Amino acid sequence: MLSRVANNLFWMGRYIERSEHIARYLNVNYFSSLDAPNQLSQSRQFVLRSMLFMVGDPEEDESVELDEEKVLYKIGLDPDFPFSIINNVKYARENANSARDLISTELYEAINKFYHFVLNYDADSFVKNGLHDFTVNVAEMTAILRGKMRGTLLHDDIYSIIMMGVNIERSTQIIRMINAKYHDAEKSRGSYGDTFGNSFEWTTLLKCAESYDMMRRFYKKTPTSITTLEFLILNPNCPRSVMNSLNQVYDHIKVLDPSKNYNKTSTAFLVGRVRSEFAYKYIEEIEEDIQSFIENILESLSEIGQKMEKEFFNY
Amino acid sequence: MTTAENQLFSSYQRNPLLFDEIYDKDGTIMSIYSELFDLYGEHSIKDYVKLNDKAKASFFNQGITFQVYDKNETKEKIFPFDLFPRIIDPKEWDIIERGAIQRSKALNLFLWDVYHDKKIIKQGIVPMDLIGSSANYLDQMVGIDPPGGIYNHISGTDVIKHNDGQYYVLEDNIRCPSGVSYVICNRTALKRALFGVFNRYKTYSVTNYAENLLDLLETVKPKGVDIPNVVVITPGMFNSAFYEHSYLAKTMGVELVEGRDLFVENDFVYMKTIRGPEKVDVIYRRIDDAFIDPLEFKPDSAIGVPGLFAAYKKGNVTLANAPGTGVADDKAVYTYMPEIIKYYLDEEPILNNVHTYHCSRPDELKYVLEHVHELVIKPVDEAGGYGISIGNKLTKEEIETVKKQVKESPRKYVAQPILSLSVHPTYIDETESFEQRHVDLRTFTVLGKDREFVLKGGLTRVALKKGNLIVNSSQGGGSKDTWVLKE
Repeated sequence: MLSRVANNLFWMGRYIERSEHIARYLNVNYFSSLDAPNQLSQSRQFVLRSMLFMVGDPEEDESVELDEEKVLYKIGLDPDFPFSIINNVKYARENANSARDLISTELYEAINKFYHFVLNYDADSFVKNGLHDFTVNVAEMTAILRGKMRGTLLHDDIYSIIMMGVNIERSTQIIRMINAKYHDAEKSRGSYGDTFGNSFEWTTLLKCAESYDMMRRFYKKTPTSITTLEFLILNPNCPRSVMNSLNQVYDHIKVLDPSKNYNKTSTAFLVGRVRSEFAYKYIEEIEEDIQSFIENILESLSEIGQKMEKEFFNY
Repeated sequence: MTTAENQLFSSYQRNPLLFDEIYDKDGTIMSIYSELFDLYGEHSIKDYVKLNDKAKASFFNQGITFQVYDKNETKEKIFPFDLFPRIIDPKEWDIIERGAIQRSKALNLFLWDVYHDKKIIKQGIVPMDLIGSSANYLDQMVGIDPPGGIYNHISGTDVIKHNDGQYYVLEDNIRCPSGVSYVICNRTALKRALFGVFNRYKTYSVTNYAENLLDLLETVKPKGVDIPNVVVITPGMFNSAFYEHSYLAKTMGVELVEGRDLFVENDFVYMKTIRGPEKVDVIYRRIDDAFIDPLEFKPDSAIGVPGLFAAYKKGNVTLANAPGTGVADDKAVYTYMPEIIKYYLDEEPILNNVHTYHCSRPDELKYVLEHVHELVIKPVDEAGGYGISIGNKLTKEEIETVKKQVKESPRKYVAQPILSLSVHPTYIDETESFEQRHVDLRTFTVLGKDREFVLKGGLTRVALKKGNLIVNSSQGGGSKDTWVLKE
């Protein structure tokens, strides 16, 4: 596979995954805030700030009154905001375009349909009453894309490159969500007897990661900070957990680099190292200092991305 | 079913001066169309509009679009497609197919000769001037033997049906003829929309193009290569034909590369893969001659590969089509095709040539200048239907401008009588009815070492503007699925 095309496919995977996480974050936060148990979590300002924080464009000035329609438009359909859903989908399609000869017609057609859906979505109805419809459709279409990837592509180098992109992005987005909700739980601490550990925000976080039901089944208890983080970070069987993503990244890097003894400067070596570190971590250790844990993992993930670029995309 | 009873065709207006392919002289439906005519007639216009919209959506979702260059923006458009197919009788197809092969072979021999001994010129069959003044003649190609002896691996021969019922060749495209992917997409779209009609006709499949192309490209591999590594090279995803490039690479199962993915080392060509360099042996290039190698041709070309031509010269890589083929698809060379076929193959041309006046000959120039209003004036080296003037469509001032241009550089122009292209019923959105529109046919011929292939079908291009004769997609043309019937 050409290095240039590999790079494009890697990013195609990332952009598809990213658009889904943003869409779900918007949806879950907005709608669960409507009947949240405490006033702060119910406040529109609180939710809008959380959304901006998650997409990496936080409003630092506490005194600024955010306009709901403007914030929704910016994150959803603003062509001038680089992190908007519409731009993520555009980039995904552009990357798919350059590799049309390598991916299946079925996958390409699904991406193309997705693109036209987002492109033609009426901005006015989106900000007024289309948030649910739009975000649910984005999440569903990305699920279709994942199915087409798994079900119609040859499981070879090309598939592995795409899945590396998908999984690195998924773990990055999960961490970003954890970060945003950790931040929210800190802020809403104490209002109406809400403690940090039992904050309503943990339920929202699990729903954002589509993991709430399974978490309940696993722990049979209301989510707390420690169980939520354990589930979303360390549980290898939760398909959205960081551990699960790292395991997949590890499997796919082995397809791309089948050597048995890894060179210590290779991507495979780094992936193995990061993965092992997590495999033997326990949650109390993480909880001691969540903030620096989050910084560390984000750094490791971006390091993996950079290593890949050097090793595979920049011949 | 008569025309009046047919819901779709009841308002079809037939201009008696035009040659309509589905009616005979007496105004009855031609026998090969009668069943199709009845099947379509069962639909109301309303149903038909729905089917038409579905077909359009199918093209859109598949991302089968082309880009149009406007003043300052490029737009993505669907290739206009008509759901009423064109049918070609097996006997007529036989003539077209044999004729296309004959021309492609003759042109190949002509190219060899032009870049080697130039016997045809020395013997006075064609004038030296024909080559000497052609912008597409490449000095660099003199004396080079392309692998397998093939120059024009892929030829697109454009034919039309004249009102005498005979096929005429309009031009031979042997640089980078495009359009073949649309042949296949048209078939797919028609099958999706009106699958029932295929049960009644025995039509040749068109999906075997890619496998034949790959087979034949493999026959012209460089010496010493066992299993050649074939790639398609594209200028990039912003090129108007990018869909086709990716389609061909995908269906052949080979890499689609851009210039920046390739490099040349010690006169061998490699592509940059995730596992390091990989040698490339055959390049189906969809980049014009001038851009393939900045060291040899246009120095500012960013889409080519430095050193590619040197590797080609050494015989280490095959380029399809070979550089310099443009000298033979020049419209001035076209006018000598009967002589060229006779000279190299000792055969009579199977397909007719349109009579052509050379503005470079003083007596013919005189005739052209006096008869501009009844001639088509074409620049000899422009592609895509640009620069063509159709005499009877020009105003007085425009005629004067054309005359002036021709007088200034006579070598640049040829003129032909205005042919009456046949018409075919075509659904027109604005009037929601079928109307007569002019059509032509692009055929695709592939030459390999000792073997050739003609796609049984082709791209029927429709001039969508009423009365218009120019069918190129960049000029607002549409297309139709084209069925070649089995005997």
